[in-house]
Amino acid sequence: MSVDLRSALFYSRKDIFKNRKVFIIITLSIILATANIIVINGLVDGMIGDLVDNTIQSSVGHLNIYPDDNERFIEGLGIKEQKLAALKDVEAYSPRISATGVLSNKGLSVSSTILALNPDNERKTTKLLEKLVRGTAINSNDKNAILVSSRLAEDLKLDIGDEATLAFETGVVKVYVVKGIVRTGNLDFDGSTVIMPLNEAYRQLGIDNMASIILIKLSDKSMTEIYKPMIMQNLDVNNVKTWKQETEFVSNFANSWRSTSSVISGVGLIAAAISVGIVIYINVIHKKRQIGIMKAMGTNDAFIFTVFLMEAAIFGIIGVFIGDCLGYLSIRYFEANPFLDAISQTWISARFEPQLFYIATIVSFAVTILAGVYPAIKASRVEIIKAIWGT
Amino acid sequence: MEIIKTNNLKKSYMLGKVEVKALNGVDTSIEQGEFVAIMGPSGCGKSTFLNLTGMLDIPTSGEIYIEGNDVTNMNSNKRAEYRLKYIGFIFQFFNLFNELTVMENVMFPMMLNKRPNYKERAKELLDLVGLGDRLNHLPSEISGGQQQRVTIARSLGNDPKILLADEPTGNLDTKSSIEIIELFRKLNREQGQTIVMVTHSPEIGGMADRIIHFRDGTIGN
Ligand SMILES: Nc1ncnc2c1ncn2[C@@H]1O[C@H](COP(=O)(O)OP(=O)(O)O)[C@@H](O)[C@H]1O
Ligand SMILES: [Mg+2]
Repeated sequence: MSVDLRSALFYSRKDIFKNRKVFIIITLSIILATANIIVINGLVDGMIGDLVDNTIQSSVGHLNIYPDDNERFIEGLGIKEQKLAALKDVEAYSPRISATGVLSNKGLSVSSTILALNPDNERKTTKLLEKLVRGTAINSNDKNAILVSSRLAEDLKLDIGDEATLAFETGVVKVYVVKGIVRTGNLDFDGSTVIMPLNEAYRQLGIDNMASIILIKLSDKSMTEIYKPMIMQNLDVNNVKTWKQETEFVSNFANSWRSTSSVISGVGLIAAAISVGIVIYINVIHKKRQIGIMKAMGTNDAFIFTVFLMEAAIFGIIGVFIGDCLGYLSIRYFEANPFLDAISQTWISARFEPQLFYIATIVSFAVTILAGVYPAIKASRVEIIKAIWGT
Repeated sequence: MEIIKTNNLKKSYMLGKVEVKALNGVDTSIEQGEFVAIMGPSGCGKSTFLNLTGMLDIPTSGEIYIEGNDVTNMNSNKRAEYRLKYIGFIFQFFNLFNELTVMENVMFPMMLNKRPNYKERAKELLDLVGLGDRLNHLPSEISGGQQQRVTIARSLGNDPKILLADEPTGNLDTKSSIEIIELFRKLNREQGQTIVMVTHSPEIGGMADRIIHFRDGTIGN
């Protein structure tokens, strides 16, 4: 005799909805566990995504030329720029100089990274100068204007129009006016960066025609693998990194965040599954006589197994579906309304990945069903005679 | 025609290392359309006999024939199917599914057997047992006698050849007991239903066509 699924479902439904309170509590635990998987992992994806985006948008180009090993600067910048300009898919490039210095104001001093760039080139290459939160950007020929990163400005109590003293590594000390304040979302950058025009850095450091890095923007970021060797050969440079290589560091802690978030969501799910298992198990123990009667009436073991597995499935279908909806809405909410994490001082937003959704659905449902297997087996093995006469 | 026949039917249980002989060689023959009462002192094997003929359990030895077919050693799925189609059970108490309404209880075995028009049939059967006005009540909302009548209606859903009732009135007051037995009589007379009923009460046993007396696991006189 095969299992009549319709009758099994009929009985499972009646049985499961009989105790509303228990039904709601158990379903709620599955809803929360499922939503939790989506939200926690969505937040981690958001954090990782933001980090990659930030890095790509403000600190690196599609391709980045670094000085040769053991060299501090790339020499012969002018010729290299000409060669870059001649390459077909090179849309823009921006040479930068980085140096160290100490920025001081009203007796407070913070050691800082000086980032010198040509604002016109930079604008075509990255979005760094769009990250101004206050004030205006610098011009390439400004002689005493700087931009200060947001946390550094806070630490030194600097505001637009204030004067700050910058001591270069060469020993030169000069007073600059803060023209704007920049925030990228990158902790290191926002904590200690002073941005000034490239020419001004050349003057103060006593150098010319050099760069610490050249950021290159291609017309299509998927072409990096073709252009990397071409640029190395044409420009006679040895250290060129693609944006993918630049953001590799993210994947390291991304992995550790992901495993942490998996553990957190796994624990929630297992707790929910255990409660499903226990509720169905107690129900089976409670119903031994009725199971015996049902068997006496002419149902086989497989039918009884199906009835109780279906109860787990009903919990699963309803809980996972609502959990998916709740998770989706929460993710969309955090996507639109990032919140400030007090500890890392970063804005956290979530990201919706359809894949995460499928995983949450499949895993939650599978685990819930699995929780019903043992009680269902227990039920199917009830012996008619013992159950009915209680011996 | 002979509907139930048993040959030297034996059943023993092991209580620890002690063998309890519940049935010790029972030969019976029950005709189609008979209303038989089984009587005898407590512990003499009446329930065991009913469970074996109803294929709820397997005998230690001997044979059981239903309509001439040997059903003694059928596998458990086959026995379940046989019970669904050919046998209706009524136990002493708590026969009903308490999360299902009266109507749903009666519908359920018919749904299992994929019987068409099971709703109409369930209403008819509940009318037959005089509970046509209690369709949507839960078992807990009706009396014990009414519950037994619902059980009888439920057991009739798939037109079973045999009704087996183990002390169906054992838990009821006299008035309800009489109602149940009158219902059995009516089913037996009007529909030719074969009924095998275990009872303690001589009055109730006396309303059957024939009484089979059990004593110490055998049929006495
Ligand atoms: N599952 C069982 N295990 C052990 N002994 C049993 C079991 N079922 C019945 N018996 C014994 O078998 C004998 C017959 O029992 P039963 O058929 O229930 O008698 P009756 O229904 O006539 O009172 C009794 O001695 C009883 O104790
Ligand atoms: Mg008995």
